[in-house]
Amino acid sequence: MTKLEAKNIEKYFDHDGHRLQALGGINLKINDGDFVCLVGPSGCGKSTFLRIVAGLDRPDNGQVLLDGKPVAETGPDRILVFQEGALFPWLKVVDNVEFGLKIAGIPKSERSEISKRYLDMMQLTRFAESYTYQLSTGMKQRVAIARALVLDPDVLLMDEPFAALDAQTRDLLLVEMQLIWERTKKTILFVTHNVAEAAMLGNRVAVFTNRPSTIKKEIVIDYRRPRISEDENLSKYQQQILAELRPEVKSSE
Amino acid sequence: MKQNYLWKKIVFYVALVAVWQAFDATNIWHDQIFPSPLEVGEDLVYGAADGSLFLGIGTSMWRLVVGLAIAIASGMVLGIFMARVETVNQTIGSLVLGLQSIPSVAWVPLAIIWFGLTDAGIIFVTTMGAIFAVTINTYSGVKNIDPSFIAAARNMGAKGEKLITSVLIPAAFPYMISGFKQGWAFAWRGVIGAELLFSFLGLGFLLNVGRQLSDISQVIAMMIVIMAIGILIDGFVFKRIENKVMSRWGLR
Repeated sequence: MTKLEAKNIEKYFDHDGHRLQALGGINLKINDGDFVCLVGPSGCGKSTFLRIVAGLDRPDNGQVLLDGKPVAETGPDRILVFQEGALFPWLKVVDNVEFGLKIAGIPKSERSEISKRYLDMMQLTRFAESYTYQLSTGMKQRVAIARALVLDPDVLLMDEPFAALDAQTRDLLLVEMQLIWERTKKTILFVTHNVAEAAMLGNRVAVFTNRPSTIKKEIVIDYRRPRISEDENLSKYQQQILAELRPEVKSSE
Repeated sequence: MKQNYLWKKIVFYVALVAVWQAFDATNIWHDQIFPSPLEVGEDLVYGAADGSLFLGIGTSMWRLVVGLAIAIASGMVLGIFMARVETVNQTIGSLVLGLQSIPSVAWVPLAIIWFGLTDAGIIFVTTMGAIFAVTINTYSGVKNIDPSFIAAARNMGAKGEKLITSVLIPAAFPYMISGFKQGWAFAWRGVIGAELLFSFLGLGFLLNVGRQLSDISQVIAMMIVIMAIGILIDGFVFKRIENKVMSRWGLR
């Protein structure tokens, strides 16, 4: 069953007075409960595409369908996890996690019940009363993920959330992310420039071409989970992805 | 380290009073134009004993608080609108910059014509002195918010006044605090300046009474009180809020 569909998404930017086409007609269908990674050369517009899906930017052409219905406005049914987390420094961890629930007008007792569950899932319980400046980058991203999950979005959008992490923390979170996905059965769209990350996480990996980007190829990764970064069997998939990606990176230079 | 610093301050002020006393002892200037520290001290004690000093402080502070509160509330609203609505910025924004260059006492004639010799007139002068500093700092604060904060909040369903109260104001708060601090400094000058010219109650009034009576020690005493209140509010109110906000927001 198709959960999310992007139909011929085009986006232009003004760059030094001339129009630059970032997205050249993106078509993508994502099934309910699927985990799809988007990889592409840097600057190819994959983050822009994610923002359009989230409704934070408008496409110049095409549309995004959620459960078959076009969506334009942004909203908590498609929650975006930002690269730097975008946590609010004036709120405690628990209040950051409850932010969307509070906006939705959910009463305090119910909010704490929900946030408790997700703080526990993300192993953040003992940091609930901390402020974000007291957390490591890895912890911040856990908070950002918890803040997204409490809203029970139809689709979870993740924009290179682990790019700023050190290797050990990233490996840990890559495994946890798979467990979270299995537990919550969320539909996830995950942008990364890291091929190994894509091979570990995705059921499918969509490779973007260089600008104006389209989807060049979708690679299915049918392999047992949880996958760990040391698993050498994954390198086969990484090679497949790289074979598609490499010419695009070259042509973008 | 911090105590060492306080110690230096104490030594400095003691030395200052000593130099003052020594200079007075030379009798180069007559006592009527240059009082000794003791005379000024006596004046303060006398004012404190008969309560006139506290009435003066209370009156000035009351006017300040009301005027500043109005300035903060309306300055924040104006600043947020300027930052979020381009047309407001292009039109009212330029006027705000112009108005900020008007010294607060220059509002006194208008205040007298509009409000007469009333508290409302002094509060008006105070508000006009402070409002544009608050506006401009709020504007900068909102303009400098990390765009991903706003995007994340909108994504989670915040819009309209909820977006303003739950994200724009707290995110811009470190800037707004500087605006409040500047606003308070302008407001304090405004209150004293207006009281000098309007002349009824308040520290500015007492300062002017000192001049009319040629009571030089009262003039100096009131100036010291005005300065001391300035230091106290800056150090105890704004420094503390600022320190707390800066560390909470992870800016230090």
